[in-house]
Amino acid sequence: MKWLRRNIWRLLIAVAAAVLALGYVPESHPELASILPRLSPILSLFGALATRAWLGWLMLLGIPLLVLAAFKGRFFCWHLCPMGFLSETAGKLNPWGKGLVRRVPMVNKALALVIAVTAACGYPLLIWCDPLCIFNGFFAAWREPLAIASAGTGIGFVLVILASIAVPNIWCHRLCPLGGLQEAIAQLCRRKAKTADGAPEQSALSVVGATRRTVLAAIPAAAASLAVRHAVGAKGRDAIRPPGADLERFNALCARCGNCMKACPYQLIQPDLGDSGIEGLFTPALQLRSRNADQEQYCFQDCVACTQVCPTGALRPLTVEQKHKTPIGTAVIDRKKCLAWENHEYCVVCDEYCPYKAVKVEEHDGVSCPVIDEEKCRGCGACESNCPADPIAIVVKPLKAKGKQQKK
Amino acid sequence: MKSKTSKVNSKPANLKRRTFLKAGAAVAAAAIVPTETLADEKKTKIVVVHGTNLAKMVEAGMAKMGGWDKFFKPGAKVALKPNLAWNSTPEQGGNTHPDILRAVIKGAEACKVKQILIPENTCQPEKMTFKVSGANDAIEGTSAKLYRPKPADYKEVDVPKGKICQKAKATRDLIEADCLVNMPVAKHHSGATLTLSMKNWMGAVDNKTRRSWHRNGLHQCIADFSTFLKPTLIVIDATRIMLDHGPQGPGKLAYPNEIIFATDPVAADTYAASLFKKTPDDVPHIKLAAELGVGCADLKKIDVERVEV
Repeated sequence: MKWLRRNIWRLLIAVAAAVLALGYVPESHPELASILPRLSPILSLFGALATRAWLGWLMLLGIPLLVLAAFKGRFFCWHLCPMGFLSETAGKLNPWGKGLVRRVPMVNKALALVIAVTAACGYPLLIWCDPLCIFNGFFAAWREPLAIASAGTGIGFVLVILASIAVPNIWCHRLCPLGGLQEAIAQLCRRKAKTADGAPEQSALSVVGATRRTVLAAIPAAAASLAVRHAVGAKGRDAIRPPGADLERFNALCARCGNCMKACPYQLIQPDLGDSGIEGLFTPALQLRSRNADQEQYCFQDCVACTQVCPTGALRPLTVEQKHKTPIGTAVIDRKKCLAWENHEYCVVCDEYCPYKAVKVEEHDGVSCPVIDEEKCRGCGACESNCPADPIAIVVKPLKAKGKQQKK
Repeated sequence: MKSKTSKVNSKPANLKRRTFLKAGAAVAAAAIVPTETLADEKKTKIVVVHGTNLAKMVEAGMAKMGGWDKFFKPGAKVALKPNLAWNSTPEQGGNTHPDILRAVIKGAEACKVKQILIPENTCQPEKMTFKVSGANDAIEGTSAKLYRPKPADYKEVDVPKGKICQKAKATRDLIEADCLVNMPVAKHHSGATLTLSMKNWMGAVDNKTRRSWHRNGLHQCIADFSTFLKPTLIVIDATRIMLDHGPQGPGKLAYPNEIIFATDPVAADTYAASLFKKTPDDVPHIKLAAELGVGCADLKKIDVERVEV
């Protein structure tokens, strides 16, 4: 009871955060579901830094935390953070673990530095270590129909809780990059305040020393960012991504918060389990009917739900008009399987369903046969989800060619 | 005795002549009058209402068909099958016009029917489709229930007269309705040439059945299924007809400004096809359905009653 009285506010905040992450927001404002991860400057501001793009006013939600850190240090961590509350509570389950945390090195500030520097390089590494993203990913993973694969984004949360039971407080005190970021800001501001007061004179050497250490750490981080980008950057293209995806740095920029998967009204977006490599694990990928036989829907032309809820800019917010011009893949017909081409049936269901009029109908021996107009095709999968051939004769393939993701 | 016999004998002679005359008259009459009445019974009647006020057109058409209460009995379970497959506005002609839907719902409600169900297996996400097509507005304030059937809402049925399609999974609420109104919109169709009343039953079966029809001879399957699912009433929206890029559109439109009322699906479709300058030979499923005895595909044998509103 005493515990409850002391922690009631943190509990309520955690519940409210979970409700947001579960996607219980008014239908008219789907973007509200993205408030929680956007509160983290690591996701919203570093994401914008990496994309060098304006991600809408909601990205400014990352600023209050920075300001709070400047004046109050890690106030957020100890009083507001839902992930911090849960991991701290989990640590209480292990009364024998006290003090174990002292043996763990401080990783948090280094982690924050790496994310900041690599984001500045345009290819952020480890952005998915953000606590609000981890929290959000766990709750966003609960969706219908529940499958083991769809729970992918929840794994980080489970790992943090398990680690916190094994070594109490390891997350908040040693690992969390958001905590590290706040601590670094607080230290910088404290140092400045002290020098302004003129009280204990800050030795120039220590400031320089700190900067030098930072620079020394930043150089390999930047190098790693560029190297990883060079090595695997293109793998973002190996799966069909939601509309508005920043394909060139998708695997890096995506924080696996699960918001887009939760937002999709047709459960088309699922965690990728290997198509885009180990570095693309649990990133969102569209599973159209050829990947999921029960799927009867496609990426509906007038729906932009997923693009409104991405905190990092891995998916850019699109208007319906922009979406109509944004391909996510290209449909490919296998004529050997096609009822019209192979069996001379009256079919062209693909043309019937195509919302973009991208199926050209050609007469061959008196039968209408479909041909894809790749300029018009957006890869929505309407054809694939309705193709009557068995096996499916028209399947959407991921975008491969460069410079195809934005059409004028 | 003799006279008596002669009287008796004379009578048959009289009778003979009279019978002969009567028989002759009967033969003559049979040659002229009854054949005409017989032909009248054989001739299928459809009602075509021309005008611009859709609600009034529906009223006029139903009056000409014999009144609402001829089809909608008090306490009946009514099911309507409009075509609401596509996320397009009423003006684009991809779906049955909401004003017609509303007029039929209102007419049925006035007959004190038990319930009005509108199950529609949309081709695009139903939430948007029902909104954009105007269907949500059409049912607003009425007792009608509009929904997209879930897998459990389909029932496996036999189609005994079917040549290819002998089994289908069809919407339970449509099969089990006391009064079933098929109310398609007439439009071009890239696969089936035209989509009219019989083609509209493709929205009455589940997606697996739909796909199997495409694989196994679409036109024959449409005709087969129409031997099974018989509507009580057919109302075809031909106020604006899509001439190309069907069924989804948007395509080129023509404006016959007509609503077709019928009980014979083949006759209704044959007439509606004529608005596109097509005959049952151009739209194979109409011809095949006529061959299966579903209805009359000969425009000369269809009695078209025209009403102007």
